[in-house]
Amino acid sequence: MPSIVVNIIWMVAFFAIIILFNQRMQIWSYQRNVEKATARLQFLADKSREDALNSIKQFAQENVDIRSQVTGFLDFFLIEPVDRDPFGVLGRLEHILDNRRDRFKAFVSQIAPKAGKTDAANTEDILEAAMALNLIFKVVRHYLLLGKKTKSLMIFVQLDMQLPMIMKMAEAYFSAQKTFSAGKPIGDGLGALVASKLMLGQPKKQIAEEVVYAELDLSNRKVVVLKAEGPGGVVGKPGEAVKQLVENLGGKVARIFMIDAAAKLEGEKTGEVVEGIGAAIGDPGPEKFKIEDVATKYKIPVDAIICKMDLEEALTTIRKEVVEASDVIVERIKKAILERTKEGDVVIVAGIGNTIGVGQ
Amino acid sequence: MSKQRQSRFAIISIALTLGAFTLFVFATFVDPLSAYSTELMVAGLALLIASWGIYFFGGRRAQKPEESTENVITVIGCGGCDFREERAFTLGDYIFKELGQCKKCPGNSYIRAIYAVPLKK
Repeated sequence: MPSIVVNIIWMVAFFAIIILFNQRMQIWSYQRNVEKATARLQFLADKSREDALNSIKQFAQENVDIRSQVTGFLDFFLIEPVDRDPFGVLGRLEHILDNRRDRFKAFVSQIAPKAGKTDAANTEDILEAAMALNLIFKVVRHYLLLGKKTKSLMIFVQLDMQLPMIMKMAEAYFSAQKTFSAGKPIGDGLGALVASKLMLGQPKKQIAEEVVYAELDLSNRKVVVLKAEGPGGVVGKPGEAVKQLVENLGGKVARIFMIDAAAKLEGEKTGEVVEGIGAAIGDPGPEKFKIEDVATKYKIPVDAIICKMDLEEALTTIRKEVVEASDVIVERIKKAILERTKEGDVVIVAGIGNTIGVGQ
Repeated sequence: MSKQRQSRFAIISIALTLGAFTLFVFATFVDPLSAYSTELMVAGLALLIASWGIYFFGGRRAQKPEESTENVITVIGCGGCDFREERAFTLGDYIFKELGQCKKCPGNSYIRAIYAVPLKK
């Protein structure tokens, strides 16, 4: 008899716990996942800041404390222009992006005066990666604390569902920082690598900011190849460069070829080369707009050749498959120029991407 | 904490939960054990609490620097001949960096490629 009573008490207690504390138990479970991820993000953010400091120290002046300056700069922010009145928004965005780049350059030259052009550009990339990790950590921590404060299951559920993508992005930035510190070429530099292969041995001239170009003859076609000026980690202003080249040529350009790295879908192979049309450039807008605008003005067809890779592969040391794909793209461009243009035509080939570790 | 150790904790946690479930079943449905049902229930609860404790606190990962997962190769070539050499990447290397005279011919050698080969998936 007593055992039946105990069993009844046990069953009642069990169901009472399940019914009354069901949501609380779910919150504990989701909160635990988010706390683990936040701890990992904090580790990545702290480690990336220390790594950035160690990289910068070798170019800093002795007896100057750069820690507080770098730590403060990691919270540097950019306010995007108002787009409720979209007229001229890209011009305003470009102005703000220019200001941001100028502030970055000024800060790097202030804390790392001994850095040369290449090292200064790489230091900017190192800081960018540390800033990205710092921001990701702070946003996730914000929602964790907000969820704890409000005891909201929905906040934890939404955060937990997005964690796999957030963690993948954070790990990619963390790995990228190591690559930037060593000055190794990255997957995103595929466009720059292809352009370098095409312009190898030709004299280079400067056009637009941090962009160089070279002219070569290919089966009686004049091919103008441009890329960001390496081997420092810069992307330059390829849109401005294309615009200036087209305007300098009076719009007499038969075709524009753009080469860039592109995000692959799950299931697609890294290094897969795909062709299409349109401005293949992943900038916030101004550079892409300039290319589309000048191509539309002079009715110039824009061909895009992209190489597939995921975010981590784009931000970390270039993979063998991508290097092999660059040779495939070089041949495809040569073939496409012969097939789609005639003798005497002028063609622009724009290699887009961060040119870290890629000279010319 | 390694992934193997984490999965070991998960297996222990599941085993304890199954043990608790077995004790609850015995305490409820096996008549000869009905005299000990209270003790079995308490033991089952203890196993359940231990299982949750291991699941919640045992799986915390210690943060330690990641080991390198890639091998970065620098490929050296020559503009004048088919010379090709591979070596480990060193600081200062970049693609199309000129390295002086080729080992095989009077041509200039340069870094033809740099790429990473993943060490593990």
